Amino acid sequence: MVESVDDTTPQPANIWLIELQAILQGAVGGFLFGIPLLYTVEVWVIGAATGPRWLLTVLATTLVGVGLLTQVEGFRQTLHLHPIEALLESIEAVAIGVVCAALALVLLRRITLDIPLSEVLGKVVFETVPFALGVALARSTLQGKQRRDSSTDRVRRTIAPLSRRLASPTLANLRDALVDFDAALIGAVLIAFSIAPTEEVPLLAASLPPLWLLLIMGASLGLSYAIVFASGFTDRAERRQRGLLFSPVTETLVAYLVALLASMVMLVLFQQLNPSDPWSEWLSNTLVLGLPASIGGAAGRILI
Amino acid sequence: MDLPNFPDQSPPDATGRFTQRSAAEWVTFIAASLILLGLIGLIFFDWQTNQNRPPAFSVAVSEAVRVTDGRYYVPFAITNTGGRIARMVQVTAELHVTGVDDETGEQQIDFLSGHETKAGSFVFTHNPQRGDLMVRVASYRLP
Repeated sequence: MVESVDDTTPQPANIWLIELQAILQGAVGGFLFGIPLLYTVEVWVIGAATGPRWLLTVLATTLVGVGLLTQVEGFRQTLHLHPIEALLESIEAVAIGVVCAALALVLLRRITLDIPLSEVLGKVVFETVPFALGVALARSTLQGKQRRDSSTDRVRRTIAPLSRRLASPTLANLRDALVDFDAALIGAVLIAFSIAPTEEVPLLAASLPPLWLLLIMGASLGLSYAIVFASGFTDRAERRQRGLLFSPVTETLVAYLVALLASMVMLVLFQQLNPSDPWSEWLSNTLVLGLPASIGGAAGRILI
Repeated sequence: MDLPNFPDQSPPDATGRFTQRSAAEWVTFIAASLILLGLIGLIFFDWQTNQNRPPAFSVAVSEAVRVTDGRYYVPFAITNTGGRIARMVQVTAELHVTGVDDETGEQQIDFLSGHETKAGSFVFTHNPQRGDLMVRVASYRLP
């Protein structure tokens, strides 16, 4: 698959769209980096038990760390920054981290209306640390394939088709699509494999009301689509160049199914799910692990 | 305002001057500052209201005892009426029924923040309504 990148001359692009894309890219970077610590009981517990003075210290330390990262990385594509602009971007990165961490905690029911303020603040501040660092690293983690391919000579391996029939144009397209889902599978396994054997999956699944699972599904699909959107792969011409067969929506849906299947297999392998468990447990555990898996899958489709 | 921050374009003389940010980026900055100031404000508010009051507990035992398979389930709810968080809160229940051995139940609650309520149940083999049930907080630890 050879891609030409030189004809992406800047159209009169919308500054708001570019900014939205940058923020989404930051948020996606935050989720990629923050998800493993989001599924960690200890972080919630430490957060819940920490007093306000320490929370302010943690927040300040995070700002310093993000500030240092923003000197070289950041979530915007801008390459030359005034020192004050770097400071402003660090503040924005921490705020994006705060919002993403809070949303993720609400989604997983670690923050509810019954939980007292001090506990909520502690959880949000401690989860903000990995999310904000992820936001500050977003530019390099999520650099789209086309940009990276042009700078380095990283080329994906291809395998010759088994029979000549597979080489026909439509089947070649189909093969490209399969390679894409292969990438989704690799990404899903990379992110979710370290979460699958932990106790957090059944613990979170048990605390979710039945209809809440729909919200988790929605969030998984939304984040997965956001990752594709943030890296600018919704542009139709560009997609055709990459040889993508499906529309972004279809691709997101199929990649989510791949992620769910991978989650279920991982849970079975780690004996988290047994045939004797009720089907509702299978469903909820798979969907809870499907959230990190779909995020990893979407990132995999872009990066691999 | 032009688009100096377009991905693949390096701005001409950007190092010295402060002209790069677009209106959209300023909007992001204002929203970000408000979010962070709000968070810091809430932490200070929590500091002022809760941190000077040590933990205190009230335990409410429900009258609605459930009987399943010959066992008696007594729901209780414990509230931290103080401000600071308590860890390892130990709730004990003793049931004295005349003529039979005493029954005890024990429950440890990992975390109980200020104003937080957690609920659970004690399970007895004798009817607690025919005896004398005493539920109390035995101990806790500060974080």
